[in-house]
Amino acid sequence: MSIVQRMASNKASSAALTFELVAKCSTTRARASILTLPHGPVNLPIFMPVATQASLKGITPEQLESTGCRLCLNNTYHLGLKPGQEVLDAVGGAHKLQGWKHNLLTDSGGFQMVSLLKLAKVTEEGVRFLSPHDGSPMLLTPEHSMSLQNSIGSDIMMQLDDVLVTTHPDKARMREAMERSVRWLDRCIKAHKNPDRQNLFCIIQGGLDLEMRRECCREMVARDTPGIAIGGLSGGEAKDDFCKVVAACTELLPELKPRYVMGIGYPEDLVVSTALGADMFDCVWPTRTARFGNAITKHGVLNMKKEQYAKDFGPIEDGCGCPCCRPVDQEGAIGVTRAFVHHNSAKETVAAHLLTIHNVWYQLHLMGGARDAIIADKFPAFVKEFFNNLYPDRKSYPSWAVNALKTVGIDLFES
Amino acid sequence: MTFELLKTAVKDGGARLGRLAFSGRRTVDTPNFFGLTSRGVIPHVTPDNVEKHLHTNGTYMALEDFIERPQQYMTRSPPIYETPSPINKPLNSFTAMPSSIITVLGSRRLPAVASPMGNTNQGISVFTSTGFQAVTTKEYLNAVQSLNPDIAIPLADLTHKTNTPTSKRALRMAERTDDWIKEWFTEMYKNKDSKIATFAPVLPISYSMQWEYLERLSEEHASNPAGLSEIQKPRHPPRLALTAPSTPHQVLRQLALGMDIFLLPFLSTASDAGIALSFTFPPPPPGSSESSELLPLGIDMSSPEHSISLTPLTDSCTCYACTTHHRAFVQHLLCAREMLGWTLLQIHNHAVLASFFASIREALADGTFEEKAKQFQLRYEPEIPTGLGERPRARGYHFKSEGPNEQKKNKPAWSKFEGEEGEQVKEGEKKVEGTVAEKVGELRIQDEQSGSSGLGSGVDSVAETPLVPDENADAKDLEEKGFAERVEEEKK
Repeated sequence: MSIVQRMASNKASSAALTFELVAKCSTTRARASILTLPHGPVNLPIFMPVATQASLKGITPEQLESTGCRLCLNNTYHLGLKPGQEVLDAVGGAHKLQGWKHNLLTDSGGFQMVSLLKLAKVTEEGVRFLSPHDGSPMLLTPEHSMSLQNSIGSDIMMQLDDVLVTTHPDKARMREAMERSVRWLDRCIKAHKNPDRQNLFCIIQGGLDLEMRRECCREMVARDTPGIAIGGLSGGEAKDDFCKVVAACTELLPELKPRYVMGIGYPEDLVVSTALGADMFDCVWPTRTARFGNAITKHGVLNMKKEQYAKDFGPIEDGCGCPCCRPVDQEGAIGVTRAFVHHNSAKETVAAHLLTIHNVWYQLHLMGGARDAIIADKFPAFVKEFFNNLYPDRKSYPSWAVNALKTVGIDLFES
Repeated sequence: MTFELLKTAVKDGGARLGRLAFSGRRTVDTPNFFGLTSRGVIPHVTPDNVEKHLHTNGTYMALEDFIERPQQYMTRSPPIYETPSPINKPLNSFTAMPSSIITVLGSRRLPAVASPMGNTNQGISVFTSTGFQAVTTKEYLNAVQSLNPDIAIPLADLTHKTNTPTSKRALRMAERTDDWIKEWFTEMYKNKDSKIATFAPVLPISYSMQWEYLERLSEEHASNPAGLSEIQKPRHPPRLALTAPSTPHQVLRQLALGMDIFLLPFLSTASDAGIALSFTFPPPPPGSSESSELLPLGIDMSSPEHSISLTPLTDSCTCYACTTHHRAFVQHLLCAREMLGWTLLQIHNHAVLASFFASIREALADGTFEEKAKQFQLRYEPEIPTGLGERPRARGYHFKSEGPNEQKKNKPAWSKFEGEEGEQVKEGEKKVEGTVAEKVGELRIQDEQSGSSGLGSGVDSVAETPLVPDENADAKDLEEKGFAERVEEEKK
């Protein structure tokens, strides 16, 4: 695997990635950094929208770009089946397939296997499962996953890991999964054909057992991948436990590597995880919820299908700078009103497209705001304002967030 | 409004070249076409993309798309009437349609769903997303005055069931429409500042009745100081075709009869069917090898033959879809039922039509139209290919069964979307799929979190990513695609 060369004390490079730490919050563990990938630099912390099948739900790559997005996800499982490896090879990878000039991250495909497919069974060799159509037994190995992700050509690829829900009761099985994930990382590293132009990230496993997580961190860090993911979360565990795991990992992880918490997307989760020292997040929720007619705003999620918006001629969110909401006299403004979204929600696909643009913008902008605050060393104030906007009544602040932020020096109740 | 007639193919008739202008709007060189909206949007195309990539100068909107009465809120007035509009164009403001775009307001969608209730002396029956309802001439007048479109089409007593009504029905149609037009012109221009251009409807009635009807239109209302002023100002009124031609051949025929502006339902129909229109005017010169073969009017982009093709949808096209993407992507999107596929096809198909009409205007200008139109009819297949790709989900307001024995004249523009979760699963497979769906519910989506209970109802609102991307992928496919390998059956 690539050898990390330390250049300056705030910068580290590997073959296909440079990580530059720009600022650290003086109170919390939050960091602002620049991650330079084969398809250009991205600012961290970052939210990455999910273009599952090489398309972000009806919006054009040009529109996605206009939200400021420079790094999005594709799913290996989906692309592996449609259009398939042969097509990806012939076309020259997923960037070329979807006309996306910026960065892509792909998962390993293992998550879908285990979570979607009945009777998936993990053995040392790989994930055994029954083909969804004809029930034939199949095997997905770390080598298959690497080969596919190499064909996809993603800027960041993820190792195949042994994913268990964090709430899995069997501790022995959890340990086995953690240890196996480490062994599979070694196989992934060996099978990875393009380390000079694609970055392979490891995934920390270990359920909710902090000691096991720490052990996994040490093993994974020793293998010196260009970036590190914390996996297995967002599977239904208590938010308190989630925060403890993230905090336990970030404490041990090297400073000059990006830290990616997989499958996280609710605004509160992003802000708290950032405070705990994580840099990268992805989730289908913002785009999926757009298709349900939901707009994410700093005051919470608003369902545009509700009658109260039928005659609301304001923008989706006051003060939002996205193409849908920005004042009509500004460049690139569409001039969308809540009434219009209401009019077409669940009727014309265009309403979903507009909310998708808004929601992706919101998520990216939220992270951009956090980054600016970290650089200005005003992150605690940013966090307080964020929660204040979301919950006008302090009494309804979620206790998990209050507790987690307390561990990194923010008291939400202090004015 | 001004309409200038620049040239006619034959003296006082035939295809003609013109220019239609509204202050503050894009000038429209005719012959041309306007975009056709559904609920105020060009299907699948967001307003920013309409402005940037569609190159359309005008859109047709139907009042029935804006006046539904939701069951729990029967008494509320349609929101569109309260749209604040600094430019005094509520239709544009409500729909976020760029202000440079001309709006045409009619009562019914095109094509319209026939109403089982029928029309009355007071007005017509329309079909909204919440069902049929009556619109009186008075209500329609108020709506038009309030929405201030550039062009308004008065109510006509059409049945939408047949283009050849019985003579009795035709007579009533002419009389009713006549009365309604009279009322229209009495009321419409009471406000002397109104700039709404009336495009009076021409009816599907016999020549003699039509003659009388048109005579009355031009004579009676011309003498009315307010009436017909807008339409009469140009010596030759512009003609808008509500005829819904289903092929470019029909467009050429109607154009040769003197039509100026077209509304083309076949555009969206083709996009939904996965068809990239591929015709040009004039047709390409016959190649040596395939000179006798007819050229297709469109290409089915869902066909696997395009799966690795990096060429544009059509060779010479300069649209956004063709200059930034390729067939392989569109093929993938259609195959994966991603909505972007239909968006890109809409952009492309509108561009094909824009260039079709631009070339027609050139040909009219240099006197080669008739010759080239003849070549076009000879070179291209008569129909647009059907397309094997899956259509987007049809909405309730798109269609209605039109009576028990109704035979559809054309192939339906919309068909039922098959991708509803679970529906596509054959009986024997239901169990596995069900489990899959449950699993996902538990693991990934976590019921949308936000606490709002009505969320579930939107699940089917648009094509969702299928949980299992290809339910037909068997072990062999998975293996071929490099996703996984087949293994020996495990001993339990």
